[in-house]
Amino acid sequence: MNGTFTIAKREVSAYFNSPVAYIFIVAFLLVCGTLFFFLGNFFAAGQATMRGYFSLMPFVLSVLAPALTMRLWAEERRQGTYELLLTMPFSEGQLVAGKYLATMAVIGVALAASLPVPLMASMFGRFDPGTVLAEYLGAAMAASAVVAIGQAISGTSKNQISAFMSTVLVLLALSLLSQLTVWMDLPAALAGLVNWLSLSYHFASFSRGVVDTRDVAYFAIITVACLYATTRLLAAGKWR
Amino acid sequence: MFVASIISEARMIEVSGLAKRYGEFEAVRGVSFTVGSGRVVGLLGPNGAGKTTIMKALTGYHRASAGTALLDGKDVALDPVGVKAVVGYLPEGVPLYLDMTVAEYLGFVADARGLSARSGRARRNAAIEKAVVACGLGGVYGVRMERLSKGYRQRVGLAQAILHDPAILILDEPTTGLDPNQILEIRALIRSLGSEKTVILSTHILQEVEALCSEVLILNEGTIVAQGSAAEIAAGMQGEERIECALTNAGPAALESLRSLAGVRSAERAGATASPARFMIIAGPGDGDSVAESVFDWAVGSGAKLVEMRRERMSMEDIFVRLTREDAGK
Repeated sequence: MNGTFTIAKREVSAYFNSPVAYIFIVAFLLVCGTLFFFLGNFFAAGQATMRGYFSLMPFVLSVLAPALTMRLWAEERRQGTYELLLTMPFSEGQLVAGKYLATMAVIGVALAASLPVPLMASMFGRFDPGTVLAEYLGAAMAASAVVAIGQAISGTSKNQISAFMSTVLVLLALSLLSQLTVWMDLPAALAGLVNWLSLSYHFASFSRGVVDTRDVAYFAIITVACLYATTRLLAAGKWR
Repeated sequence: MFVASIISEARMIEVSGLAKRYGEFEAVRGVSFTVGSGRVVGLLGPNGAGKTTIMKALTGYHRASAGTALLDGKDVALDPVGVKAVVGYLPEGVPLYLDMTVAEYLGFVADARGLSARSGRARRNAAIEKAVVACGLGGVYGVRMERLSKGYRQRVGLAQAILHDPAILILDEPTTGLDPNQILEIRALIRSLGSEKTVILSTHILQEVEALCSEVLILNEGTIVAQGSAAEIAAGMQGEERIECALTNAGPAALESLRSLAGVRSAERAGATASPARFMIIAGPGDGDSVAESVFDWAVGSGAKLVEMRRERMSMEDIFVRLTREDAGK
């Protein structure tokens, strides 16, 4: 456990020693704020709800979170510190978990920095704190899956840009997948599978304030599977 | 398979039949050796000889395709985390987190090595201070590493390697890219570390081996081609003698004639000038005098004029080049 926190501490300092974390947080708040106040037409809608803020969260995370995850392993490889890390007494699990926790911490700061928005919105009318809580929980769970996917892709890359582009493509594909069932008349079984795989499909109920255990399980499974896959990638690298 | 045994009282490193393949390419082919405690051993070889591959296998960064490596009695394949705890490693090129200060970085390494958890905050800080003093980093302790010179980065790399007071130090080309003064400083540091630890270092600089190492393993194309102390290898190899001569009126068949003389191991043209024509002759052990006489007699007999003859013992560089080139040709 100490190893995990040592890595997490180092990663958090790396994020905040560079402009990456600050740019991510500002971009996240700007994009979500723009979607909420302007595109979502918050003032004209006459509803004290955060739905507009969270409705496009999977897409926002799909584009912005890869900027955080792209460096996780690709940068270690580029500067040679990958070898240093793998020859210190860390297990692969500690390395992967530490980097995951650090990235989640940065996203946590961004989510925390957005709290004034619901507080301000609550001044305009009756606000359901349970719904807002579910929306924040959904955002954190979606972020968890996105970070785990991003880390796994970074684990296969030597170049940050290719890691970024690949992660954006995979995440956008996962987010848009549920649209297939809208655009096409798929057989029920296939439509079910497509929806099950889709990030935005599982986020939709959170954004309505509903915490469904199937959605929680989906994000948890994606997170654990991708983190585990990353540990296997690191171990497999030793055989190369 | 060439088995080298560099043995002293306690065996700190025992490598047996170690092989590593990258696809079809065999980087290391069944290498075996042992290193006793308190020894400084040099892995010497040309680029691509397998030095770095052996080090990566010893540190657990790469898994060997075959064979075993025991460090302080721990099998690197079965107990990689245990091995990492007793080994300090300076990878080639000294990778560092350049966004951190020296203090932050050494703090991170101390935590990674479990120093705080194992021995408390005070002893962790004492270990950092000891490494900082040993490596002369006091003046740059609070400086971001991106601003450090190559020499200081090398020192930081060494400081992280010795921070947890490991019994075994593995240093991959620790002086590459440094200026002469920095090389002397780093060598002095390694020499002092070698008085209490087992050190295995790789280099392709022979003087480094002579300056630092009590034993040498010379590698070529993934196998050990010579082993022992630098003096032993020199004694074994320096039986050969180099004779350089310059002849006028030598004729086109001079080279073949020189090669056919008794005691001559090899002869080559040295330089492109036609007159005087220069030749480099390698005489076998103890044959230097007789070959020099034969060359003189042959020159007189063939009508060539001997205008210069110079004999010199082979330098360590010559031995190394010859050994690794000969082996490559096999």
